[in-house]
Amino acid sequence: MPTLIIDDREISVKPGATIMDAAKLLGIKIPHFCYHPGLSVAGNCRMCMVEVEKMPKPVISCAMPVNEGMVVRTDSEMVRKARRGVMELLLINHPLDCPVCDQGGECKLQDYALKYGPDRSRFHEHKREVPNHDLGPVIETEMDRCIHCTRCIRFSTEVAGVEEMGAVFRGDHMKVGPFPNLRSLTSELSGNMAEICPVGALNLKPFHFLARGWELQRQEGVCCHCAVGCHTNVETMDNRIYRVKSRKCPSINQEWLCDKGRFAFEGMVEGRLQTPQMVPHGGGSLTEATWAEALDRAAEIIKGVSPEEVAGLAGDWGQGAEELYAFQDFLRHVVGTPHLDHRLTQRDFSADAIPLGRADLMLNTSLEAMERADVIFLIGADPRFEMPLLNLRLRRATLAGASVWSMGPGYLTTNLENVDQTVVDPGEECRFLHGVWKAMRTVGRSGVANSWAGAMKKALRPVVLLGRYAIEHPQAEKVRRLAVAILEQAESVEVGWKGYNRMHSAAGAAAAQDMGVVPHRGPGYKSCSRVGLNAKEILEQGALGKIKVLVLLGTDPETDAVDPYLATAAMGETQVIFIGAYRTRAAQMAQVVLPGLVHGERSATVTNVEGRVQRNERAVNGPLMAREDWRILRALSQRFARPLSYDDLEGLRTAMGREVSGYDPNVVGSMKGGLPCDHGSEVIRGLDWDPGSIATTGADEHHLILVVKPSFYRDTTMSRGSKTMAKLDGGAQLRIGAVQAKKFRIVSGGRVSIECNGHSAELEAVVDERVDGSILLGSGQELRQLGGDRNGFLYVRLKVL
Amino acid sequence: MNQPTPIQIVFKNIHKADSHTLEVYLQGDGYKSMAKALHRTPEEVISEVKASGIRGRGGAGFPAGIKWSFIPKASNKPKYLVCNADEGEPGTCKDRDILRFDPHLLIEGMVIAAYAVGAERGYIYIRGEFFRESQRVEKAIQDAYAGGYLGENILGTGVKFDLAVHLGAGAYVCGEETGLLESLEGKKGQPRVKPPFPANVGLWGGPTVINNVETLASIPAIIEKGGPWYAALGVDKSTGTKIFSVSGQVNRPGNYEVEMGISLRSLVEDYAGGVKGGWDNLKGVIPGGSSSPVLTRTACETVTMDYDNIARAGSMLGSGAVIVMNKSVCLVRAIARISRFYRHESCGQCTPCREGTGWLAQILTRIEAGKGRAGDIELLEELCGNISGKTICALGDAAAMPVAGAIRAFRDEFVFHVEHGRCMVE
Repeated sequence: MPTLIIDDREISVKPGATIMDAAKLLGIKIPHFCYHPGLSVAGNCRMCMVEVEKMPKPVISCAMPVNEGMVVRTDSEMVRKARRGVMELLLINHPLDCPVCDQGGECKLQDYALKYGPDRSRFHEHKREVPNHDLGPVIETEMDRCIHCTRCIRFSTEVAGVEEMGAVFRGDHMKVGPFPNLRSLTSELSGNMAEICPVGALNLKPFHFLARGWELQRQEGVCCHCAVGCHTNVETMDNRIYRVKSRKCPSINQEWLCDKGRFAFEGMVEGRLQTPQMVPHGGGSLTEATWAEALDRAAEIIKGVSPEEVAGLAGDWGQGAEELYAFQDFLRHVVGTPHLDHRLTQRDFSADAIPLGRADLMLNTSLEAMERADVIFLIGADPRFEMPLLNLRLRRATLAGASVWSMGPGYLTTNLENVDQTVVDPGEECRFLHGVWKAMRTVGRSGVANSWAGAMKKALRPVVLLGRYAIEHPQAEKVRRLAVAILEQAESVEVGWKGYNRMHSAAGAAAAQDMGVVPHRGPGYKSCSRVGLNAKEILEQGALGKIKVLVLLGTDPETDAVDPYLATAAMGETQVIFIGAYRTRAAQMAQVVLPGLVHGERSATVTNVEGRVQRNERAVNGPLMAREDWRILRALSQRFARPLSYDDLEGLRTAMGREVSGYDPNVVGSMKGGLPCDHGSEVIRGLDWDPGSIATTGADEHHLILVVKPSFYRDTTMSRGSKTMAKLDGGAQLRIGAVQAKKFRIVSGGRVSIECNGHSAELEAVVDERVDGSILLGSGQELRQLGGDRNGFLYVRLKVL
Repeated sequence: MNQPTPIQIVFKNIHKADSHTLEVYLQGDGYKSMAKALHRTPEEVISEVKASGIRGRGGAGFPAGIKWSFIPKASNKPKYLVCNADEGEPGTCKDRDILRFDPHLLIEGMVIAAYAVGAERGYIYIRGEFFRESQRVEKAIQDAYAGGYLGENILGTGVKFDLAVHLGAGAYVCGEETGLLESLEGKKGQPRVKPPFPANVGLWGGPTVINNVETLASIPAIIEKGGPWYAALGVDKSTGTKIFSVSGQVNRPGNYEVEMGISLRSLVEDYAGGVKGGWDNLKGVIPGGSSSPVLTRTACETVTMDYDNIARAGSMLGSGAVIVMNKSVCLVRAIARISRFYRHESCGQCTPCREGTGWLAQILTRIEAGKGRAGDIELLEELCGNISGKTICALGDAAAMPVAGAIRAFRDEFVFHVEHGRCMVE
């Protein structure tokens, strides 16, 4: 541990640390532009120069490793003179018009100019003029202001893993910009470039010229647009969110935030329900009502049928643990029905009989630990576009040499290194995984399965990730068990290493599991005496008229459920009580509409994919008449014989904490970030399973299998309301392999129609050689029109328009 | 005018017909030193070179033997030897003659150096403009492989050394050793932040020695005749011979290999045929390439050509490019031209050099054009101070030194330009 003296204060640091690191520990701020803790050291801005005794010239503190006995001065005359020189040089070609710059007020160049800059310019030559670039919907450029610190370049190449930014030309002609012919940045993390740009060269396009940094109020938040739970700073003015920035959290998001987390909030205020509504007695259309009227009506509807005929469905994206807990409490104990679920996207419920525990349902490798993985199996997972910040950890692992083995129906557009992609036809997943499992028990065969097996066998820190496709697979449980079984066969796993990970990307899914918003067990993974109907059965029974009242919490089954037509039928046959924030189809079809609040408008407990319990506080107020969902449920329960026992948030949280471990309000409230992967249980192993395959794909010359790629940017009602997300999403597309394209005479850019069970959708075709044989890869909301699937797969007919 | 018979170490072969061929090289006892060196231990070779006192001939003048001894003995990454043949300093053309007339001397020197530091792979980084030279070197390497002087088992000793030529693209900054390494790795030629130094983390992360062509070409003679013999040549801490590329207003411009410590006047008058218009017509001399400060005539009278004496006179030996200017030269114009060169060649990476070289060139060009402003000269001086010693590599210093030096030595000429808007020379 070398010891050095900085500004007369002594400190010991670990070997290899730089002067900048040491100064940071002492709380001494050294001005800098190019240095960023999350990026490699470039040493090009020269602003962080300090004086070191016995060295003739000032040295840059960001790159200079400390030595024993070093004596450093960070504010000597030599240092100040050097900084003044650098500032003058940085400013000669930089526009001096801070009042019209979007960065004004939160600009490091401006701040240091105040401290070290000259009060007038000695530069009488022509200032450099640099053309701007169109970098797409996220980044606005004013390249005149660029100071060539190369943070954006280093970010895109090192962190984002998408080489899109670079510098061309030399000397004072050097220009930072995108690679030639790049229409728009493709990185899902591009907003970070504006955040780390120390000057006003790269700005956030959606925020451009909307507000000044000092006008905004800052509230610490937790991002709820996927299940990673990144830490954010939510910046507001006049009860409106203007900007979301990343907040440093080394164990979750480090310093970064994805574009969805940054801009999906735009949809927060779009299409909101403002007041309670209800269909009056005797029918008619929805009309505004007072809270009392609407709640009375809702209670009347529920009481009008027997408890067994009431069912509840909750969304798994936008809900906090409080309302989920209250929801199941209300249905189970106030109404008295066992029928409730949140798993609208799931097709296979066979594991409910076991049932699965917390460790089976979430990550067991923490985000931080993922960086140390050496073999990564992606099973139907696209981490980059399911959870970008989790993917960054995997990317780190691959940069350190980890190998990635991916299987799924399509290829991945990935930024991981060493990826081996295997395309497995829909329905053949179990057969493939079984092959891998068998290969692990035998030796010396060749083939794809054997390469997978070989890698897993030798793995010290293997990670298996079950992605959205695997979770929603019609044989999800078989796939899952095979993944567990394969992992069990790994021979050299480090003691204590846990590699099984079910990666559910929905922000509320983990909390919904913890709160027992499932038909087969109660909160805290306790078994319950009466097992109810699952999501699929509820909709089926609803469509048959056996379920008569449907209580919806923040979900529109028409967009969320596997089969939208079944959902429509169910809502058509039942009386719907809708609790939620958005004017969705479900809200329009309801008998009673009770307007709720969304994340950012109320204090909520959220649980991330690691099972880490965090608090997301209120940043703005929701619509005047809207209420927290749990309060609505509490008020509704008042109209029943046994109302909910808690009257305030504290009471609810205490009740919740009593029943579900990890949710003790004192612990959640005081902890920064919660504990990852603290499940209190182990993954269930050694289960019997039958590795059979679905009676094969059934594709014939008339039918093709359509795999719908879920939209990353537009998968929630809130994100669908965001203009920036719409631009990033890229719209509906159908990717067709070369063989099929030739057969159907399809060219890229042409319109095609696909038909399934009498429903059809029209969209743009793209010929893509990476798509396999009889598979079509589709994306876009339009594909919802095709409706549900047979055996879990969509068999479609293709027509060229 | 009688040209004295110079002592020739590096240029010993170049006057022979077909000196670049292996055949002629072998006739002059070629590759004998290498054979001698390979039968000694690497440590002995290094101490021989240390004893010779030879300093790097590329410009910085760092003792070569000491540089070699910095290479760690044990390394889990391969070690490399790189020859810097990116001769780009304006006024310098010495390495070019070695490359085209005696490539085998360089190869021999490289094998010895590689053996001494334990490198099994070497590169000769030749500047892009030296295309024909690079072809000659390539041919020489081929012949050396065929003759068993390179490859898996050199001269049957079991020593392994592979050598390849890499042609640069003509950037001055790639003559800076870490810029060269970046370029050699296929990246944009931008110098690296030091530390770490190439001796620890160099080419592809491996320990790397980078030596100038002339330095490496001197090694065979040092091994042949011994370090002390070499150290006896020259003066004090500037031992051996040095090639000076004399250019400008002299009657016989060219490359001259002379003992270190020769007086500048003798170099110009006895070797380069004297200043055009006679010694009294001399205005000043840039003694070590365009990045070294200009010496006034008074200084030129007494200065001797060795590292320490030139430094005392306020300039530096640099690469040994002696640019002679007589009284017909407008110094402001000359310095403005040099500044534009550095503006063009700055890699753009770090602030002081990127912005400073551009500003220097713009001010000087403006003064030259008769549009100087009061305070410009002081601004130039301060600007030079803000660039020097603040940059990632020495290019910033190289751009600032000639400007600061010229203002120091010929201030009245700059003042005249600013005040009268024209040159006092015309």
